[in-house]
Amino acid sequence: MKAIAGRSRIKKENWLWGYSMIAPAMLGIGFFFIWPMIQTFYFSMTRWGDFGTYKFAGFDNYHRLFADHDVWKAVLNTFRYVVLAVPLSVAISILVAVMLNQKIKGLSLYRTLFFLPVITMPAAVAMVWKWLYNSDYGLLNHMLNEFSIQGSRWLTDPQLAPYSIVVVMIWSSIGFNMVILLAGLQGISKTYYEAARIDGAGVMAQFLRITLPGLTPTVFFVFIISLIGTLQVFDLIWMMVGNPSIVKFSTQSVVYLFYDAAFLTNEKGYAASIAVLIFVLVMVMTIIQMVFQKKWVHYE
Amino acid sequence: MRAENVSQKPKFWILHTLLIVLAFFMLVPFAWMILTSFKSLGESVHVPVIVFPKSIHWDNYIDVLYTMPFLTFYFNTIAITALKVLGTLIFSSLAAYAFARIEFPGRNVLFVILISVLMVPGQIYILPLFLIMRDFGWLNTLQAVAVPGMFDAFGVFLLRQFFLSLMKELEESAKLDGCNHLQIYWRIMLPLAKPGLIALTIFTVLASWNELLWPMIVNSSPAKMTLAVGLSWLQGRHGTNYPVLMAGSLMALWPMVLLFLTLQKHFIEGIAMTGTK
Amino acid sequence: MRKLLFALLALCLTAGLAACSGSSKNGSSKVTLTYAIWDQNYQPAIEQAIRKFEDSHPNIKVKIELTPWSQYWTKLDTGATGGELPDVFWMNQINYVKYAANGIIMPLNDQMEAGQIDASIYPDGVLDYYTNEGKHYGLPFEMSSIGLFYNKKLFDAANLPYPDETWDWDDVRKAAEKLTDPANGVWGIASTMSTEANYYNTIYQNNGFIISEDKKTSGLDRPEAIEGIQFWVDFIAKKQSPSAAQMSETSSEKLFESGKIAMLYDGSWIVKEFADIDYTKENVDVTVLPKGKVSANIVAATAMSLNAKTKHPQEAWELLRYMASREAALIYSSTGSFITAVNGTQEGWVKSVPFFNLQAFIDSATKFPKPFPTSKDTMKWFTLEEEYMLKAWSQEMSVDEMAKQLAQKVNELLAQE
Repeated sequence: MKAIAGRSRIKKENWLWGYSMIAPAMLGIGFFFIWPMIQTFYFSMTRWGDFGTYKFAGFDNYHRLFADHDVWKAVLNTFRYVVLAVPLSVAISILVAVMLNQKIKGLSLYRTLFFLPVITMPAAVAMVWKWLYNSDYGLLNHMLNEFSIQGSRWLTDPQLAPYSIVVVMIWSSIGFNMVILLAGLQGISKTYYEAARIDGAGVMAQFLRITLPGLTPTVFFVFIISLIGTLQVFDLIWMMVGNPSIVKFSTQSVVYLFYDAAFLTNEKGYAASIAVLIFVLVMVMTIIQMVFQKKWVHYE
Repeated sequence: MRAENVSQKPKFWILHTLLIVLAFFMLVPFAWMILTSFKSLGESVHVPVIVFPKSIHWDNYIDVLYTMPFLTFYFNTIAITALKVLGTLIFSSLAAYAFARIEFPGRNVLFVILISVLMVPGQIYILPLFLIMRDFGWLNTLQAVAVPGMFDAFGVFLLRQFFLSLMKELEESAKLDGCNHLQIYWRIMLPLAKPGLIALTIFTVLASWNELLWPMIVNSSPAKMTLAVGLSWLQGRHGTNYPVLMAGSLMALWPMVLLFLTLQKHFIEGIAMTGTK
Repeated sequence: MRKLLFALLALCLTAGLAACSGSSKNGSSKVTLTYAIWDQNYQPAIEQAIRKFEDSHPNIKVKIELTPWSQYWTKLDTGATGGELPDVFWMNQINYVKYAANGIIMPLNDQMEAGQIDASIYPDGVLDYYTNEGKHYGLPFEMSSIGLFYNKKLFDAANLPYPDETWDWDDVRKAAEKLTDPANGVWGIASTMSTEANYYNTIYQNNGFIISEDKKTSGLDRPEAIEGIQFWVDFIAKKQSPSAAQMSETSSEKLFESGKIAMLYDGSWIVKEFADIDYTKENVDVTVLPKGKVSANIVAATAMSLNAKTKHPQEAWELLRYMASREAALIYSSTGSFITAVNGTQEGWVKSVPFFNLQAFIDSATKFPKPFPTSKDTMKWFTLEEEYMLKAWSQEMSVDEMAKQLAQKVNELLAQE
């Protein structure tokens, strides 16, 4: 009897510790982020006039949302970015990380170079890529011409522009993914490789049998982070495509629409309902990932 | 990984070639920024593009210092970043420890709520958060930028992963010695978590350094502006002076490059212990 | 114990921060006003005038707040929502009705009736740019107008006389054809998809209108307007102008600065840039816009407005009054930064770039100005207009068809206002 009472007292004490240790972070996050988020849910059911005046509007915004052709096109565009950019970026990042996980000359220089896009000002990134892609004067078409290949209108052809943007997305995310994957590689115990080498396994076999499975938890983490990032893509498209643009319809993402509604045409209630849609999309995608991870992620 | 022996030498040449080619592509924009920062305005907008400036225009760098209080921006950015790092490290590690090691009712629900914050685009908070700041009387202060950033859901998530990967034996024995949770956290977990804390520091610094929209909305007086906001001054209504913008960006960028160059080993080590579980 | 310590630490941290914000607010008996602007290039001129103002008003201190154009309106909007606005701030024609209708900016009629504003110092009609339902909401200090920039080198090469004030649309069409030289990548003219610099001018020159006087109907589907738009689209169709896609990749200004375009309609705001670039400095000049049925030129004026809820209405008004005065205009003018809005003070700007014929801009602004068309919620239909215009510019849709659809949508929006 006494022992049980003691255990439950310890339990209660633990609760107290738990709550008080999470309190500062949770209160701060609750106050500065979750509370505004709840307000956004509420705002999604309002119609805004000028300067913060708003009226309750029920589900009007959602009716408009479901009927808005632009919204569904933007959702499709965003999915296209996710489907193309995320797997490719992760695959290239794995390759780079594996290459840079060895003792070679200039290792930290290489790593820094790959990390540069992550720390460079987005305005500079957009400017350079626009110049590279420029169909009349850009470097890319210039080089293609040297090989007598007809260049393309990389950023102004509605069919092509989304793919041109995907390339920049991949390019700018490799550095971040690489760092996390490098960390994952260091977490794989060296004894596995030694054992494999004694068995006479080659580099490729080692990669497939040890590196890849051992890396899956990290790959999963990188996948989730990239997925969330890609679903929220905005700045890059905004700066590279601009407004108005011939390719806007085929390139704009959901957050782009959100931005237009919130800050350009000042329909903050409608913008809030788009925000809720983004939230739902991210949630659904993350849950799908969580469910499928059991099939391919190997925990030690 | 001392796996490399002499027989693999040729492969290393392939490796280096591949790396150099890839690194070259990563480097292009950076090189472009440097080249542009030395061009005259006419050279920077010329079509077809002029790659190398005829003469080096150092004036662009002087213009940056001349047109804006660049040193004040540095100070503000560093102060805000320092506050964010401090807050994030303390609050996130406390909460992360509790989420990883202490059982209490509602733990999972609270954690999911926390994670959901990560999934929402930042633009969503801006208006309600601005109203909160106004009610605090914090508009045009450094803390308006710094304080919300001190509470970081990503930090809690990252460090929780880290604590989960640590062995339980140490704390079990500490518990037997009569240590309470705060003592275990402070004496045992925090010292072990150093690499994780370094990783979180770098993530926080990176995010803080280039943040644009929020500081711009809450702070309008030049005395309280950050580097990223200050640089956006250079983007005018009718066209942008790219050479000066690039010179300014480079002047804002070098601390980050230095930070990454010196800390990258610890950085990777730090994430190594968090990302894998 | 440690937990308590941490809690205390956290508390001190926030309290400490709060304290330092509180102390910064306690000033002396001096009144501090904030003055918000969006143009970095104009700042030195504004600063000089403010220093003069502070000298004559020792009890007032003025803080300039610079926000770049791309963020200015987002910020002002958020500030107005939160009740945190500068005391005096720059205003443009697109936005002022919205701010006026919501009581954000103060009507200046009392001051007008008290004789504190001398309306006669402004060019005719410019004060009306900021007058809504009989109330004045801002005093102009800066103007812009549109001119025809031309590349002398390309005109010489084609053996053509330079454009002058006698030119009309047909002269432009003929010159564009002769100047176009595909072999050298040279276009005769640039059909920039710009309201202010391009097609609004030609719509007005053709006796058309964009929004009716009563702000109820769009005039874009009238034949006069359609011809004004067609004028530009034709150049693209005949390949005498770069295509819309090309100009979205490389702006027409950049092309002009590199000698790829012979004629460019552009605003007085671009003068400084052209004067800074060696190529345009040497090879370019400017003249008044060629006329259609009539002469017309979009003249925009930037004004300063007063925060209706300012804590210091008297001091803020003093500041606004001074910044819009003839004395201040002469100070701005001496720096040559922009076209001042006070009659007879523009010489400084005209002389600031002696190698361009800048008098053309002043003549256009004073002789045949047309205000930028606005309604209460201009931004909404303006955004829509850009979207639709692009369809005609990219030749996805005929101008007729586009104008019809657009006007219908704009009318719907105007009905909601």
